[in-house]
Amino acid sequence: MELFLEGILNLIGFIIGLIIGVFSYIGYKNTGSPVLFRLTIAFFAIGIGFGIIWSGYIVNEVIFEEEKMNRGIQALGLGIQTIGYFFIAFSHTIKSFFPKSRYFRSVGILPLFFLSAMNIEHIIRAFSFILLVYGSIETIVSYIEGKQKGALAVGIGLGLLAFGEFIAWYSLIFPESIIYSISIVIKISGLLSLFIPISKLPLRKIKFDDNLDGE
Amino acid sequence: MVVYRTKIEIIGDILVSAQEQTVEQDGASIMQLIRHVNISHGRLSKILSNLVSQGLLEQVNSDRAYKYRISGTGKNFLSEYKKFYKFTSDFGLSI
Repeated sequence: MELFLEGILNLIGFIIGLIIGVFSYIGYKNTGSPVLFRLTIAFFAIGIGFGIIWSGYIVNEVIFEEEKMNRGIQALGLGIQTIGYFFIAFSHTIKSFFPKSRYFRSVGILPLFFLSAMNIEHIIRAFSFILLVYGSIETIVSYIEGKQKGALAVGIGLGLLAFGEFIAWYSLIFPESIIYSISIVIKISGLLSLFIPISKLPLRKIKFDDNLDGE
Repeated sequence: MVVYRTKIEIIGDILVSAQEQTVEQDGASIMQLIRHVNISHGRLSKILSNLVSQGLLEQVNSDRAYKYRISGTGKNFLSEYKKFYKFTSDFGLSI
């Protein structure tokens, strides 16, 4: 059951990540916006990350007929997803805040030392959680300022992904419980919530001869 | 609170203003664009020459000064701009 849910989560993440990535790329090609370029990298990374884990499950189940996932593939997929979450958070950082003092910059490195005793997968999950929470808070703040329903859906989506990641940590303490399955269901809801605003936009590609950067 | 606009947002504002003035008059004058877009003459001139060379705006000779009309390509760009402006806003970001 857990493996089945995990397979669905990763497949949905792969599809939604790629769809939003393609949409962002079309936006970047048509407008030349650097924000859309960062979103393109973010969602392609998220989609590819989910895709790698999903294909890892499929290869394990179909070819090797093993129930346990290869930890290396899992860590690779999670790492690539985290790059995607980083680019979402990075776009918000550029928009609203960038630490100027050396003290604040050095604080950013501290969690690396605090988490050094844990294995790499959990470090990556911790980074994902922090980046998702940050992205969610910034998006909800934007919703409060602009009252755009799409921003609320994306903010809730990122929040649910973060919450799912948080719940998944408890499965380390209670490995055989239903907690991990609950976390997967929460993450699937988060991914679907991310897709809501994109599903309402029409998709049309237009092409320009040159970009608009040569102001 | 001071709100900073990105370069793409300024281009969007110029195209919106030019489109409105193209419908109401025969295009927007430099002074009308400066007033509507809230930008300095020097910066506006650079962006306008870029937009004309890209084919998004058409420069027309009026009685005493140049006027700027939005082209078909400019209308397409503006429609895409509006669509992706909403898309980035949904992520809490500016285009």
